Amino acid sequence: MNAQGRGAGLPAVYGGREPAQLADVLERVLDKGIVIAGDIQINLLDIELLTIKLRLLVASADKAREMGIDWWQNDPFLSGRGQNGLEDRVKRLEREAGLGERDPEENERQR
Amino acid sequence: VTAPATPPDAATAWYVYGIVPADTPDELFEAVRGVSGSPVAVLRTRDVGAVLGRVPLSQFDGDALAENLRDAAWLEAGVRAHDAVLEAALGAGGVVPFRFGTVYRSDEHVRSMLGAERMLVGALERVRGRIELGVKGYLAAPAPPPPSAGGGEQSPGRRYLEERQRERRAAEDEEARRARTADEVHARLAALADDARANPLQPAEASGRAEPMFLNAAYLVARDHEDEFRQAVADVGDGFGADGVSLELTGPWPPYNFVEVER
Repeated sequence: MNAQGRGAGLPAVYGGREPAQLADVLERVLDKGIVIAGDIQINLLDIELLTIKLRLLVASADKAREMGIDWWQNDPFLSGRGQNGLEDRVKRLEREAGLGERDPEENERQR
Repeated sequence: VTAPATPPDAATAWYVYGIVPADTPDELFEAVRGVSGSPVAVLRTRDVGAVLGRVPLSQFDGDALAENLRDAAWLEAGVRAHDAVLEAALGAGGVVPFRFGTVYRSDEHVRSMLGAERMLVGALERVRGRIELGVKGYLAAPAPPPPSAGGGEQSPGRRYLEERQRERRAAEDEEARRARTADEVHARLAALADDARANPLQPAEASGRAEPMFLNAAYLVARDHEDEFRQAVADVGDGFGADGVSLELTGPWPPYNFVEVER
């Protein structure tokens, strides 16, 4: 979008930027940039961003976990999420240890 | 002090994209459309100008905003428009990008923000004449290790365990190689930039590449040195090419990664 406006009126050097990948735009526009208090505060970003990022960047969270992709758990912005991330980590560790299908209490006793 | 075209009424608000020097002309934004498709203007004080456009309050207020943020199409259109306006602002002497969704109800509120946030002047000074270039690095996996030799004496169980151990060691080595390569490439490029950031890596679904990403970095570079930096990225990429490294350069971006301030 805005393709028709790109580059017009700019020095020639800025006219030729390739259309950016969504992930590159998202990580900059949502996670970087200066945070100034507005009249309407998007505190919601704190709450919603994990969901949004996952939906847009990772086609399927389950598939990503199978592939061992856990970048969002290392993301300082998202690591505050706590419970869900921890739960996923535990599940993955259990799966790796071959304990995935068992009753959690039994897992405890095994350790 | 110039007031942009039409001030917001009760149904609209000012969406602020970022800060530019006060002498930035409105014409810079003539061709670009902002969030919600609205035209973009500059609201000026003595020191700085706020790049802004009208948005319907109904899209940014309370529950509606929460709803919109969950709508991938709305969000993509929004973040791309936000970026397009700031990309146009690269034509100014400098630009301080704001985070997505900074909204004010009136001209007065924007002006009082500009007056209160004195650090914006310093932030603008730090990025004046500079752009951000992104570098993503990918590392092809090494050839798979040869299958374990012989082992006829060993029990199948023992062979299995040793095989697993070998795999685990290979994965650890590969992880170490990735981290080492990231450090080396980042250090070389950072030495040529005014500032540098290494960000969390993107998953394969986001990068669209089969090889794992080992570096996702941003560099603050003087405009005058952009060509030089591009050449350096190409050279470093070539230098590591034999190791399976490929580097991808993005931008120029507004300096999103270089405007955080001590509050």
